[in-house]
Amino acid sequence: MARKLYRAHSPKRENTSLRSISRPMLFTWFMLTGLILLFAPQNLTNDLQFAFARVFRWPLTIGKNISLYARTRQPAPGENFDEKSRYENHIVNLQQQLRRQQEEIIELTRLRVRFPALENAGLLMADVIQPSINEKRSELTINRGQNDGLKEGLFVLGDNSIIGKISDVSPLAAKVTLFTDPASRIAVRIGNLNVDRLMQGRGKDEAKIRLLPAKYKISVGDKVLTRKTPGFLDASMIIGVVSRCKRDDRNPSMWDITVKPVCDIERLNSITVIIMNPQK
Amino acid sequence: MRWFRFAIFVTVVAVLLASGLLNIIALPPGDSIPNLLLILLVFFAIHSNTTNAIITSFVIGFAADISIGSTMGALTISFGLFGTALAYLHRVIAIRKIHYQAFAIFITAFMALTLAHFLALLRGRSPASNVYSDILGTALYSAVVGPIFFLLAAWLMRIKTHRFGRR
Repeated sequence: MARKLYRAHSPKRENTSLRSISRPMLFTWFMLTGLILLFAPQNLTNDLQFAFARVFRWPLTIGKNISLYARTRQPAPGENFDEKSRYENHIVNLQQQLRRQQEEIIELTRLRVRFPALENAGLLMADVIQPSINEKRSELTINRGQNDGLKEGLFVLGDNSIIGKISDVSPLAAKVTLFTDPASRIAVRIGNLNVDRLMQGRGKDEAKIRLLPAKYKISVGDKVLTRKTPGFLDASMIIGVVSRCKRDDRNPSMWDITVKPVCDIERLNSITVIIMNPQK
Repeated sequence: MRWFRFAIFVTVVAVLLASGLLNIIALPPGDSIPNLLLILLVFFAIHSNTTNAIITSFVIGFAADISIGSTMGALTISFGLFGTALAYLHRVIAIRKIHYQAFAIFITAFMALTLAHFLALLRGRSPASNVYSDILGTALYSAVVGPIFFLLAAWLMRIKTHRFGRR
């Protein structure tokens, strides 16, 4: 009876066009499409994600701002009203700053003053369209791309510290892979040690430095600096700080060092891309 | 099946997930949020006929890939595979009660996200830490929120949930 009722209410036209295709065939075609997407070159498939971020830029930005606002409003233990309103005012001020192009220029000029090594570098400010920061990936989608002179491998600054590198570029947008992303590997050195090591992201908000012999003295709070990379970065710059340091479980003669960013990347609304030797 | 309405609904949900708006309701310790696209996958798998369920599963997987996916194609394949499997399973075992639906969401979410993770590894993506606890958190949260979200989905899609049967 129930089935009869269902049929009576179901539109007749439903599935008429699909009737000629069998379910296994439909499944096979879709599965093939999925496999093609999976094994297609990543720069091609990334265009789809860039297109999505561009088309839905406004709702994505609004959603991000609402989320940021709501999380800022959550009272932390011991936080009082004055602190809360101060942070809120700070966010409003930051948003106003972003809208004013003159202040962008001032900020870029300040950057040059702080880092004389960047004197010959082009500094390009970009807004964050979509942050994707979780256990599996740590990326930012920004509103600048190939048309603005961006290319893969360029270093990105956030709050005066290196936060990652450009990993994918489309004409109008680009992806910044943060140094905390599991796919990220950046050559770094700790404090004044004259030893370079690879730092690998671990997802969410940390990265690891391994294979550093335990004979070196490392302590929590030591600054971690990126290595000079000709063509991309002409001077070492701060990227993070040692948050934990213990002997490697597998090889006790080595350190297992955990590095945290020195800025709150999730809250960044704009970043600066370093373009060394920009083409005039 | 109202395909236009379905397209709008899936797009809105994908934008909602991608914007990070759901971070407001993130739960510690892993800041887990419910995966609304996965809930929709289960909804359409048990409230549509098998052919439509196959189509919706792959479409939702593709929407997940372009909005929240790290490796293109991984979620399309895993959502499509488990959505189809669930639709066929529903022909044998009716998933009517709320707690059965929550369980179906949990199992589907856990398996689909795990498969997507392995496909991403196959594609050369580096493994992240705490992946499985993250997947478990998402699956559990989705299972809790799912049956409530089903009501909204049923109302928006004009699907009478009390009249469905095994198709």
